[in-house]
Amino acid sequence: MAEKKQLSKRLRRKRLGRRLSNVYAILVYAFIYIPIAIMILFSFNSQKHNYYFEHFTTEWYVKLFTQSDLWGYLVNSLIVAIVATAISIVIGVLGAMGLKRFEFKLKQVINNSLYIPIVIPEVVLGISLLMLFEIAHFPLGLGAMILAHATFCIPFVVIIMRGRMAGMDMSIEEASQDLGANRITTFFRITLPLLVPGIMSSAFMSFTLSIDDVIISNFVSGPYSTTLPIKILSMVKVGLKPDVNAMTTVMVAVLVLGLLLNSVVQALWKKRASTNIKTYF
Amino acid sequence: MKRVKKLIAVALIGVMALAFTACGGGSSESGEVNVYMWSDYISSDVISAFEEETGIKVNMSYMSTSEEAAAKITSGGGSEYDIIMPCDADMTSLIQGGYLEEMNLDNIPNWENLGDAYKNREFDPDNKYAMPYLMNYVYVVYNKETCPIEITKYEDLLDPQLKGQIASVTGQRNLFPIALVALGYDPNSTNEDEIKDAYEWLQKLMPNIAGLDSDSAETMMINGAASVGFFFDGQAARAFEEMGTDKLAVAELTDPIQLGVDEMVIPKDAKNKENAEKFLNYILDADNGAANLQGMMEEFGSYYTCPNSAAVEKMPAEYKEAPAIAIPQKMKDNYFLQLDIGDAAKVYDSYWTKLMSEEQ
Amino acid sequence: MSDGKVTLAAGGRRAGIRGKMPIFATAGPVSFWMMIFVLLPLIYVFVISFMTRTQYGGIEYSLTLDNYKEMFDPLYLKVIWKSLKLAFFTTVICLVVGYPLAYWIASKPSKLAAKLLMLVMIPYWTSSLVRLFSINLLVMPNGLLNAFLMKLHIISEPLDILYSDGVVMLGLLVAMLPFSVLPLYSSIEKMDKSLIEASKDLGANSVTTFRKVTIPQTMPGIVGCTLLVFIPSLGMYYVPEMLGGGKVMLVGTLIKNQFLVTKNWPFGASLAILLILITLAMMWLYTRIGKLDDLEVC
Repeated sequence: MAEKKQLSKRLRRKRLGRRLSNVYAILVYAFIYIPIAIMILFSFNSQKHNYYFEHFTTEWYVKLFTQSDLWGYLVNSLIVAIVATAISIVIGVLGAMGLKRFEFKLKQVINNSLYIPIVIPEVVLGISLLMLFEIAHFPLGLGAMILAHATFCIPFVVIIMRGRMAGMDMSIEEASQDLGANRITTFFRITLPLLVPGIMSSAFMSFTLSIDDVIISNFVSGPYSTTLPIKILSMVKVGLKPDVNAMTTVMVAVLVLGLLLNSVVQALWKKRASTNIKTYF
Repeated sequence: MKRVKKLIAVALIGVMALAFTACGGGSSESGEVNVYMWSDYISSDVISAFEEETGIKVNMSYMSTSEEAAAKITSGGGSEYDIIMPCDADMTSLIQGGYLEEMNLDNIPNWENLGDAYKNREFDPDNKYAMPYLMNYVYVVYNKETCPIEITKYEDLLDPQLKGQIASVTGQRNLFPIALVALGYDPNSTNEDEIKDAYEWLQKLMPNIAGLDSDSAETMMINGAASVGFFFDGQAARAFEEMGTDKLAVAELTDPIQLGVDEMVIPKDAKNKENAEKFLNYILDADNGAANLQGMMEEFGSYYTCPNSAAVEKMPAEYKEAPAIAIPQKMKDNYFLQLDIGDAAKVYDSYWTKLMSEEQ
Repeated sequence: MSDGKVTLAAGGRRAGIRGKMPIFATAGPVSFWMMIFVLLPLIYVFVISFMTRTQYGGIEYSLTLDNYKEMFDPLYLKVIWKSLKLAFFTTVICLVVGYPLAYWIASKPSKLAAKLLMLVMIPYWTSSLVRLFSINLLVMPNGLLNAFLMKLHIISEPLDILYSDGVVMLGLLVAMLPFSVLPLYSSIEKMDKSLIEASKDLGANSVTTFRKVTIPQTMPGIVGCTLLVFIPSLGMYYVPEMLGGGKVMLVGTLIKNQFLVTKNWPFGASLAILLILITLAMMWLYTRIGKLDDLEVC
């Protein structure tokens, strides 16, 4: 009898713990989303410059979809962010593996150099990359921006991947190779799937760093490569208009809806799959 | 496996895209001009009209601060553009450093339209490096309802009744000059003792400052967090729009006020120099200049002071009498410019650092 | 047991170039990238830190140690110390707030976890500038927060929190949270949950389990989090500036001023070098104290 009571106490504590952690998570999310909520609210502001909330209007959305050039800048930002992230992931994941397992002459130097893009103030990195491109006669523009963004994203990828790979049991790789798979097959079928959560974290991190980068982008941008953050920063000088809010609201809405849609679709697939299996048997 | 294949595919596409964009951006065709200036600082009607009239395509890029634009030029990034807009304070170092192209004034006859005070200036005696575009005064505004004192000179800003009431622009070259003026010195002083005195003056000002923000100091006034504002006329114009002349007024200062000019320059090795000169000539034309000011009023609701006297002549009363611009003529005549201070910049910087790192 | 480290002598199954292929393939690209895009610019910065500023803000090629001597002026040391303190507090808060959230996300099935992580990141794909403005708008005297509290009669006069230190700390937390959650999640997810069960079965309570099992197991993530919050925070300035009413001088602003306003690039360069040296010194200390070489995370 006493054992049963203890068990349910444990269960109760577990349930309470779970509820508390759910509440905590919701609080943190709410905290992160408060600025977003305000931003969305002010996208409906009739005032031209968003000093305080005047009254409700959807005119900015109309403007956004009819005569705005903001979309072009968004596309630029996306191109740079996606490509830079792709490059950073490939180089960063491979790099983390190499730096972890192998010893070579310049290892310590490379290891330490990873911290430099993280700590160095963006102005310094921006100016020095600009000079590098100038000396190499590399044209400024989206290409230069992608290279610059990858430069500060790669260290983040490496650090996150190292955390993921730390203490990873390599015997499973050895086992795979003992069973006849070559190095490349082992990498793709054994190692990589184990690294996926780390890759996901790194990809999100890189994308985030790139899509909102202002200072470095400003320095290495060219005549055709204005990104959204650059445009927004320059608008700040003359008063930020609510159409920027409208655009970011649309972005957030699209992304959140996308996530929800994905969940719904997956739930439906699951149902389908289970019914299929049933008919199979 | 599928996911990995997808990743590789994305990466490959990415590298291809990179190759395309890197190639695409570098070519220079005739028939275009690359302009690097402030956002919302030119009427889009004027740009379209220019494109129609000349067949030259205008590519706009946007700067964030004049210092970053200057740094970009001095780091070698200037040659990507044909027209850049630094401010007059940067001009000496840009000219001395050889970063600018000389303009062929025969191609820009309309430059005569500029007011005399803005032609052949000290840093550019032959007027071949820079054409002034628009300019801005930095002055004091106050909330008629909530400001407790009358302000006629910078010294009044130190009044203890204004504690935490002043919304101001920031920056060494904006705040030190008014301190120097208040103490009777040259606003572009290079004398270390005078700068030190100015630093002490600013120390007394700090408790009265509600916030320092060069971009949107007017927000504090509009939202009631400050009753006095020290900022650019462009910001004042926005404040007037929200608060109206019932609540807001320009303080009639007897001290000189700062005037800053946004200059149009052609960087060295610009690829479309001729088109740039055509663009400059077009903007400096009196009718086009007026259309530009009118267009900005309508499109952005902004009022800026213009050094192109011929263009200003043609503007309607609505512009000339706009509260942010229509400050008393004696204030307009009583101005000082930001001149290059050479090595004294280091002195300013160390006192500024001291000022900002003190606990407030 | 294999420790994952392969040295040429022991592991190269094939001699010569082919044996070195794995190194080139994996560590090659990153080394190449770092050398060109990081070390070359760094050399440039290092070189100009020994130069002098010309009258018009250019660089004169006359070697001098003045910049480094100037750095040790108490004024600048104070600025650096302030930045270190701020970075430290930001890191601690981000770690404390981020860890439970990362744990919670890691406890969910992986597809859901991916979505939850994305949900964390989505706000950061919008303009940070607009978000900071929004925070300021919230705490203005006539802003939403005050209006809300006054309507509920909780306060009678607007709160004077605009530009206060509290708002700055909150702003930093909001700005740096993803940098802590992501590395923590990546490491926590990997942890073998059965170890926790085992610990509890052996009689340890939750606190002890957490201390002796969870934390050591997720230490690589904690280290990653600390690195990715502390180091960027050192050079960051725009959040404290925007939310602090511009009345703050941190080393990031100081360096920015040298490059953009004072046009004293040599001095700015020397400060940047100092920041890098501080970072490397901390990394070295960190590995020595935590014996973290074994974890291969640094």
